[in-house]
Amino acid sequence: MTDAPEHRDRDDALAAEYVLGVLPHAERVVFAMRLEHSEQLQARVAFWQAQLAPLTDEVAPVQPPARVKSGLEHRLFGEAPAKRGLWNAVGLWRGLGLVGVAASAALAVALVQMTRSPPPGPAPAYVAELTGESGQVRMLALFEPETGQLRLNRTSGTAEEARVFQLWVIADDNPPVSLGILPQDTSGSVTIPEDLGAALAGGVLAISDEPAGGSPTGQPTGEVLAVGQMAPL
Amino acid sequence: MSNEINQLIARVALRDRAAFAALYDATSAKLYGVCLRILRDKADAEEALQEVYVRVWMNASRFVAAETSPLSWLAAIARNHAIDRIRARKPQSVDIDDAFDLADDAPGPEEAAINASEGGRIERCFDELPEDRAAAVRAAYVEGYSYHELAEQHAVPVNTMRTWLRRSLLKLRACLER
Repeated sequence: MTDAPEHRDRDDALAAEYVLGVLPHAERVVFAMRLEHSEQLQARVAFWQAQLAPLTDEVAPVQPPARVKSGLEHRLFGEAPAKRGLWNAVGLWRGLGLVGVAASAALAVALVQMTRSPPPGPAPAYVAELTGESGQVRMLALFEPETGQLRLNRTSGTAEEARVFQLWVIADDNPPVSLGILPQDTSGSVTIPEDLGAALAGGVLAISDEPAGGSPTGQPTGEVLAVGQMAPL
Repeated sequence: MSNEINQLIARVALRDRAAFAALYDATSAKLYGVCLRILRDKADAEEALQEVYVRVWMNASRFVAAETSPLSWLAAIARNHAIDRIRARKPQSVDIDDAFDLADDAPGPEEAAINASEGGRIERCFDELPEDRAAAVRAAYVEGYSYHELAEQHAVPVNTMRTWLRRSLLKLRACLER
């Protein structure tokens, strides 16, 4: 691919056509395939998605039939009545909210990623930016599976007197697993046990506020201050 | 409202089923409206809506971060999915000419509207396009029309429609990036 202006314009027009959805099916499929492998195209799709998204503001809401919701829950959670594990029961996550960790491009990238399969082979490293509603606690995490090192760099936030920050990893539907208490220092690294490596690579990291010595229950008990998804670097 | 939805998405990312149910209750009417508008078939829209929320459950952690309206984000996901469905449902056998001709035949009205309309930048930039071109772009997005449908409505050949729309999109870009 060249960087000639005409090529860029053509690709940009294609990206816009893709977002608009006007392309015939075959062309749409071909473009989606190219999109998977081109960060440049992904950026252009992100641009158009962000710009055009407000157009759906004018679409009137329509209440879907109740069967959609029950069917959905059946499909996702099976027939068994929802088990309220400690994770839900404690109501830990009430009040949790996130502020933006990425620029406006994030939407389309998310959209693109949703339809992408994970990249083949092991990725060399994974990163997450953990942020929270208040923005008081922010941390960057970098995980290298080869060495098992999780490097942490807290850019803001310190624990209150007699409190600690505890780090958790959540993989799929599993309850959080403690990765330990964050050191006072703003940067440091943690060695991740081998059996947790896979969980970390695709998991969600979270920081909770806990009493000195860490959570007494083995699960987060205090306010969740920051959350971030690990993604291949 | 936005903040509330952001919080729900964050909790869904942490596998909170109650939050997922609440997110559904808060957003499904909008998303169903979007799907229905494009698919124009209730059963199809219901199926699409379910699939959209399955993706939301599976991938919520990928889009916990929102600087713009999270409802717009979700609507965009629903819209994208509905478009995928409708294009797959009615595959067009005729290919459209991909000839790319940037040169414009007529200069568009350059007097940019100074007062920003309610809808923000995109609306302001629509004002810089000829009215029928802006309407075509809008209809493509909101109604999910294909090139073939747009061409029929504007009574022009499909290839002409594509040239029009592409020029319009590049003009829009120039305005949006200003």
